[in-house]
Amino acid sequence: MANPEAEKRKKLGRILAIAFVAVLAMGAGPGLLLINPDPESADATFTFLGLPKVYAWGLLCYAAEVAIVVTAYFKVWRDDDDQEVKS
Amino acid sequence: MDTLGSVPYYVVAGYMLLLLGLGIAGWRKSVNNEEDYYLAGRGQGWIVSSLTIMATFFSSFALLGAPGMVYRDGVVFALFSLNVPLSGAAVYFFGSKIRRIGQARGYVTPGDMVSDYYGSPVALRLLVALVGLLYTIPYVVMQIQAGGILSQQLFPGENSYEIGAVVLAIITMAYIMIGGMRSVAWTDVVQGILLMGGMLVGGAAVVAVLGGPVEFFNKVAELPAKSLSVPGTSGFWSPGMLLTVCLIGSIGSLVQPAQWMRFYAAKSTKTLKRSALIFAVVLTGCFLFGVMLVGLGGQVLYPIVDGAGDYYRSASGALLPNPAVGTKPGGFNDIMLVVLKNHLPELLGGLGALVASLIMVAIMAAAMSTADSNLHAMSAVVTRDIYDRFIRPTAGENERTWVGRAIISIVTIASLGLVIVANRSETNPLGMIVILGLFAIAFSSQLLPMTFDMLYLRKGTKQGAIAGMVTGLAIVFFISPFMPEMGEGLGGIRTAMLGMIDKGSWGVIGNVVVFVVVSALTQPLKPEDVAEFSRLADGE
Repeated sequence: MANPEAEKRKKLGRILAIAFVAVLAMGAGPGLLLINPDPESADATFTFLGLPKVYAWGLLCYAAEVAIVVTAYFKVWRDDDDQEVKS
Repeated sequence: MDTLGSVPYYVVAGYMLLLLGLGIAGWRKSVNNEEDYYLAGRGQGWIVSSLTIMATFFSSFALLGAPGMVYRDGVVFALFSLNVPLSGAAVYFFGSKIRRIGQARGYVTPGDMVSDYYGSPVALRLLVALVGLLYTIPYVVMQIQAGGILSQQLFPGENSYEIGAVVLAIITMAYIMIGGMRSVAWTDVVQGILLMGGMLVGGAAVVAVLGGPVEFFNKVAELPAKSLSVPGTSGFWSPGMLLTVCLIGSIGSLVQPAQWMRFYAAKSTKTLKRSALIFAVVLTGCFLFGVMLVGLGGQVLYPIVDGAGDYYRSASGALLPNPAVGTKPGGFNDIMLVVLKNHLPELLGGLGALVASLIMVAIMAAAMSTADSNLHAMSAVVTRDIYDRFIRPTAGENERTWVGRAIISIVTIASLGLVIVANRSETNPLGMIVILGLFAIAFSSQLLPMTFDMLYLRKGTKQGAIAGMVTGLAIVFFISPFMPEMGEGLGGIRTAMLGMIDKGSWGVIGNVVVFVVVSALTQPLKPEDVAEFSRLADGE
């Protein structure tokens, strides 16, 4: 019989993996076109709250990636199999 | 370096003595067997593991190439940095399973695991060893060369290039030979701290030079439009390129032999779990809050456009840095050194000279930490995967360890000779090595499909793995400049491929397709062997 705790962890792991890929696609993939200013356009705005828009977008995506990794660290990644080797 | 006085001499001398001391300490703690020499007895804790994995991940690129990339292309680098958290997560995803299996079965090299799982003691072992060598050789040569270049900057004078290269190579060789993995990892701890400190202090220094954060970003906002948007000044960083570099390139460099051996060497899964978290959070922060600021501040201090708003270009049309930074396209990489040399002593006086010298030693540390890990991994690959299997299968552990040491000394001296000859040569004997270096991650990425299959899917066959690897490597060679006639002969296909997505990704795509198709058509691995491997990988 499947361990419900393990199943729950697996499910959360899948959700986090999908979220991570989505953040990458938004940050470093086609999603960046949503915020990327056109360098040829005279009306383009290049800053947001004083920071370059692309840099601010990078910081936001970094924060999202860190949130996912930290959640995975506490909720998904296992370390209960350890049989430590003495050096 | 006139603006820094004699401070760099003392800082470099202190650093080198510290490394030698750590090398000797590693040797005193060592046990005379192969597992201890190559994997530090599989007992590395989380502080050593995380810092040695991070220090190995970043070469001199972190403090020379990366600020140079920001200086040339602008803020797009912030999005390139998003690859680092994925690499961090891969430390856990690949590393924890590799460690469990490696510990249970006594593996030392990647070839040990791959050849055992797929039942291919000759073909796959040799292919994996080939990939390892294609990755490690150029990295060793290029890091020794970086030592020479840095020495020229720190101590201008006759023969300073040669002296710098010799000192870096000999000291690195000495501590690897005497202490093996333990010395390499312990020195990596110092080098990793220096490397990350150098990135962050460099960024803070440039912000201070420009009058604080508000003034800094006000000036950055006035940079040319291309510096503030994607695909950057050079036009290279399209979304397709950025995404594939982040997805494939980042984890491709984590399955190269030196990193794989660090997974084997970790004491526990908890060690790698913590290392993954530190890697993802801290290292990316160093890029976004250190390197980025150096490059952007560099553009403010040394504009890459002239008074009329035109970019500086060479006769062939290539982008050039500000003439005060350099006169060749590669001069962009000097921006960190130029900013430190010209502005830090002015800002902080005597303390500025010390901080600038420490950051320059951090650059040396970045080069040494990559050179030592790769030299050490290369000796393991040649000894275990070639000498022990095909030249002297009867060799004992002691003999193999000494052969490994001999390989380290031969490769170091040969690389050093090449670097010195190249510096005095009219031709460019390092040209092919540099090209290999640019394609190193593309080569190591070809290990990804079989690694993923072995650790997670377990559907592939021996024939599928071999055919996939050969296809992937062939595609990477095809798009590299090694076979220019073939690339040109196909109507510019090669150039188009290189401009669309990351070069290693083309190889991985071909590799995966062939791996899947051939595996579907050939005999599966024995179910009981796969089940046993699964049990070990999953820690059940």
